[in-house]
Amino acid sequence: MNNQTTGAKKIIPIVPQEGYTPPPADEVLVSLYAAHEKIYPRSVTGLFSNWRWGMVVLTQLIFYGLPWLEWGQRQAIVFDLGVRRFYIFGLVLYPQDFIYLTGILVISALSLFLFTAVAGRLWCGYACPQTVYTEIFLWIEKKMEGDRSARMRRDAKPLSIDKLWRKSAKHFLWLAVALWTGFTFVGYFTPIKELGREFLQMSMSSWEMFWTFFYGFATYGNAGFMREQVCKHMCPYARFQSAMFDKDTLIVTYDEKRGEPRGARSKKADLSTLNLGACVDCSLCVQVCPTGIDIRKGLQYECIGCGACVDVCDTVMDKVGYPRGLVKYTTENAMKQGWTQAQTMRHVLRPRVLVYTGILSAIVLAMVVSLSMRTLFKVNVVRDRGVMAREVEDGKIENVYRLQVMNATEATQRYKITVGGLPGLAMASETIVTIASTEARVLAVRVQAPANVATPGSHPMQFEIDSLDSPGHLTEKSIFMVPR
Amino acid sequence: MLARKMMWIAWPAFMMAGVLEMVVFALVDPQNLHWFGQPLALSREGIYTLAFFVFWIITMASSALTTLLAMSPFEVNHCPMSPGDRPNGCSK
Repeated sequence: MNNQTTGAKKIIPIVPQEGYTPPPADEVLVSLYAAHEKIYPRSVTGLFSNWRWGMVVLTQLIFYGLPWLEWGQRQAIVFDLGVRRFYIFGLVLYPQDFIYLTGILVISALSLFLFTAVAGRLWCGYACPQTVYTEIFLWIEKKMEGDRSARMRRDAKPLSIDKLWRKSAKHFLWLAVALWTGFTFVGYFTPIKELGREFLQMSMSSWEMFWTFFYGFATYGNAGFMREQVCKHMCPYARFQSAMFDKDTLIVTYDEKRGEPRGARSKKADLSTLNLGACVDCSLCVQVCPTGIDIRKGLQYECIGCGACVDVCDTVMDKVGYPRGLVKYTTENAMKQGWTQAQTMRHVLRPRVLVYTGILSAIVLAMVVSLSMRTLFKVNVVRDRGVMAREVEDGKIENVYRLQVMNATEATQRYKITVGGLPGLAMASETIVTIASTEARVLAVRVQAPANVATPGSHPMQFEIDSLDSPGHLTEKSIFMVPR
Repeated sequence: MLARKMMWIAWPAFMMAGVLEMVVFALVDPQNLHWFGQPLALSREGIYTLAFFVFWIITMASSALTTLLAMSPFEVNHCPMSPGDRPNGCSK
């Protein structure tokens, strides 16, 4: 009876596959993105830690110190956005010199590729502001709240006077460092001494104030709270590092062959009878890791190459009397084939490294040559549109031009303007002009030629501009009109 | 998860806004800018700052769309909240 209806509406039932049980929905979601747990990095001492502190001091001496350097009558380095001039020691750059900024960015990117190919994430471990400020903030944290275990214990306890003052002092110091960082940052764009006076008199412009606090707040947030999250979830470099890595790149590696099977043991126990590797499974390498990974699981994108685990493992190996280097800074090939340091170093010069070095040197060279050959003045010629050409006394023909002459140096300069390209062509207005330092002037220039110099129409001519007080010569082409 | 998505949206956009700022203001002097025929009554610093945030908001919108489109069908169809927090009618 129902045959007709079922025939018209053919239903294909959806049934679960045999033996399949769907996973609980929440589990799938959560397993993809583990909830963030606060990391309490334990402080560490050793070779790599010393290097990192050296770099912290060096980079911050440069960053905090440079704006205070003087060059002649002005700040040595200031990117003065208000007047659109970049002063870098003796060099003054203008918006027209944008190509050099591009050059610097390309050089930075290529240097990063080169360093990464040779020695992994050197930038991340030692020079990245994220690492450097985190290191400074961690140091303050340790001074105020103690090391990892003390911090963890205190955080688990309810609020007390002791906890309150320690936390407040920490945040106060963090804010002070952050604010100073923001102030220094703005000091690269506005003369810092003036800025300091304005800051003390509370008369900073609202924009300067805004950027000081914005940059300061970013430092406080990134180094105090976000920390490894920035490296893990925000930094694109970590994601494409594998494009620059190969098997001869120096990375932080765990010697699995030697370390496994890991396990705790008594100090007096004989290793040969225990069926255990050299790893005592003390978990210190995990505790010191600023990104909270276990290096024994192999190279992971979260590893910033800081070497904290190498330092701590070496101290443990010393304590238990095993040779150092269970976790070490070496290449994948060297670890697998047991190369000596000299053998490893021999593999540094390989095609990838040579190509990066070649391109980098070529661009650096091009930039240096171009900078040293750059003329220190600029000229732009525009024909005066109002006056095409006219006849003046003695039947001479006159054309009017507008010359924009820009003096890119920091001293007043005189320029001599001459014309050529047609017989008898001569300047009718002043030929020597004076332009103040880093200024541009628009000059109305009259050029005359004898009557019948050429057929009616337009003829090519050129302006020759010579700098009288410093070497430099420019030729600018234009057109001379002869009326009918 | 939300915080992580915010980071994916804000940070790449921030970097690109910085690049835009450099490229645009290498070519354009803020003092030559006009708004409905009138010169802008703002200092160069003011225009740099405001322009940076305009760039950042726009590039963030782009990142946000990418984040939205990069979600797998599973994530789109699935209620992102844990069972206890789900509003009525959200049974997935």
